[in-house]
Amino acid sequence: MHLLLVGVSHRTAPVELRERLDFQARGVELALQTLAARGSTREAVVLSTCNRAEVYAACDELGHARADLVSFVSDFHAVDRALVAPHVYDLSGLDAARHLFRVAAGLDSLVIGEPQILGQVKDAHTAASDVQTAGPVLNRLFHASFAVGKRVRTETGLGSGTVSVGYAAVALARKIFGDLKGRTVLVVGAGEMGKLTAAHMKSQGVQHVTIVSRTMAHAARTAEAIGGATAAPWEDMDGALGASDIVITATGAAAPILTKARIEAVMRPRRNRPLFIIDIAVPRDVEPAAGEIEQVFLYNIDDLQTTVRVNLARRTSEVARAEAIVGEELEKFGAWFRSRGAIPTVVALRHRFETIRRSELERLDFKLSALPPDARARVDEITRLLVEKLLLTPTEQLKSLGDAETVGAYAEALTRLFGLVHQQADEDTEDAPEREPTSARPSAGSGRPELVERRVEPFSRSKNRGPR
Amino acid sequence: MNFVPLALYAVALVAYAWHFARRHAAAGRSATTCLVAAVLAHAFVIGMQTMEVGQVPVAGATSAISTFVWLLALAYLFTEMTTDERAMGVFILPLLVALQAIPALTPSAEIRSAVLQGPLFGVHVLSLLFAYASFGLACVIGITYVLLFKEIKAKHLGFFYARLPSLQILDRMNQRAIVIGWAFLTIGMIVGGVWAAQARGYAAGDPRVQAMSLQDPKIFVALVCWAVYSFELFAARRIGWGGRRAAYLSAVGFAIVLLNFVPISYFLTKSHNF
Repeated sequence: MHLLLVGVSHRTAPVELRERLDFQARGVELALQTLAARGSTREAVVLSTCNRAEVYAACDELGHARADLVSFVSDFHAVDRALVAPHVYDLSGLDAARHLFRVAAGLDSLVIGEPQILGQVKDAHTAASDVQTAGPVLNRLFHASFAVGKRVRTETGLGSGTVSVGYAAVALARKIFGDLKGRTVLVVGAGEMGKLTAAHMKSQGVQHVTIVSRTMAHAARTAEAIGGATAAPWEDMDGALGASDIVITATGAAAPILTKARIEAVMRPRRNRPLFIIDIAVPRDVEPAAGEIEQVFLYNIDDLQTTVRVNLARRTSEVARAEAIVGEELEKFGAWFRSRGAIPTVVALRHRFETIRRSELERLDFKLSALPPDARARVDEITRLLVEKLLLTPTEQLKSLGDAETVGAYAEALTRLFGLVHQQADEDTEDAPEREPTSARPSAGSGRPELVERRVEPFSRSKNRGPR
Repeated sequence: MNFVPLALYAVALVAYAWHFARRHAAAGRSATTCLVAAVLAHAFVIGMQTMEVGQVPVAGATSAISTFVWLLALAYLFTEMTTDERAMGVFILPLLVALQAIPALTPSAEIRSAVLQGPLFGVHVLSLLFAYASFGLACVIGITYVLLFKEIKAKHLGFFYARLPSLQILDRMNQRAIVIGWAFLTIGMIVGGVWAAQARGYAAGDPRVQAMSLQDPKIFVALVCWAVYSFELFAARRIGWGGRRAAYLSAVGFAIVLLNFVPISYFLTKSHNF
């Protein structure tokens, strides 16, 4: 089984194309079902965000599946294949796994270390599980990628610090006030910037938003637009200042509205309650000297942008550690993935031994028929255990083989020595515990001759049943 | 015997520092595990000394320090578990290690003087030790508050910004520790006064009992301490002296506590040198 990734991302495709290739427009589930129906892949997961559209697949035949996936992407979105092809990248095997791990870690994001991507990767996997197109290989791969994302988040500073001005303001407010619930925000100025920031604060749990503007009507309109905000007249600003914890100033005034003296007067009755002032107006609305007042934290737009830049630089410096984690997890996944290369051989070997055992028992059936039923059952049990014991070490050895080349050599030798017949359709039975109810190709179940053959009397024992 | 907890505290310090610098979740867990182990070992040592002398070893200055370290470690662990905040450990552990070095390097449990008897004596010592532990915690919280405050004020969001809880939480934790410490300090001092009055009855000839007055440096400095913390509580409630000023006051207060606890106990006091 091969691992394959075909996709476009912000690194390879312009936004116009990414928009047209967005799987979410028509639904990821539909895409997965459409792809499964094409039959070129055995498992599939579609990861679709505004910055990338990627199809992860497990398939038997790499070349064919690769070409078919590109066709699928262009067919599904009704975009000319010639238009898509130059922007598509494809990776296979552990390179595809590494790519997914880097995506989940936020290393491949437009804004490095961006936190939402891990959730999107999880959603992509859930969607595929729902329509049952994720099988043992992709389940394992995606769970490994969740582990990478989680480790990178907790063990490195890659996701630390906010990299957007709005979030930087909220993060600062949290560092000063702890919980934002029950806090009051005052917005001075009814412009677009103030409105956006206030709405952002409200979405982060702030309960009361008051808006003052020189024109009361403007303030009222903006308050209504935000929803749940109240407007106050310009003359009441000092009172509103005294009652609020966070002040956002965004007026078009040419001279500072809030002078140091004015804020000092407001602060006195507040005693020790901190006041966080975010001055996003240019030219500034708040006298810079006001930041000297004890318990006044004054940040203007440049300060916020500086913290954002510092955060970005810090994130970049953490990339090496995140890459190291990706490498470690890739090693683990690689060991598992390589061990799967031996599975067809293991299955064939077991099948061969089981066939010999059954045919021998059948051949001796006339001699055994004189025995009482429980003695016959014991004979069956003993032979079965014998085969199990004989195959135990070879199975373990095969599964722990290092690289594909060695696996190939061993498979070749075993095939010749025992005259094995490989059966692709049975591959998944080795991974029974993690197998999804159905594979990407529901029709695969009919291709299992073993189940039919097993009905040979009197030795009709399932090979999976444990010893009594 | 006090070496074992000292070594464990030192290991915990290294683990907390590692956790603080690199923010490894595993380092944080092992730091807490080390500290719990240190506290258990320390409890065992104190228990053994209790068996040896027949009562809790708090009478002499050295064993009182050991018990204080144990209480402070317990108080810190309680805060860590209730707030799920490990950042403070790296500040509190150096204090634990430094103080625990004293009992580890001096001979173990002194024999309790015959003068020191009655239930009131135990209440006096234990409530004061607990008060000091709270003040120690408040001091450390205050220091971290100032570090974070300075970073935010200077618009230089860096090391502490990424690691410490919010100013609001630090301020509240500091206030709570001060209130608890102040309450126990008050109780301990009143009980001490009552006990001294009783002792004058049955051991009037003892020079130490005679020295128990405001002129004794230990008693005087303890009163200064009480005044500092009372002022801090009053200032926070009446004139809005919270935040940074409260943090500075808790640091000053605890410096006085330490002064009283170590050098004055060993070299200056005439009333408390048991």
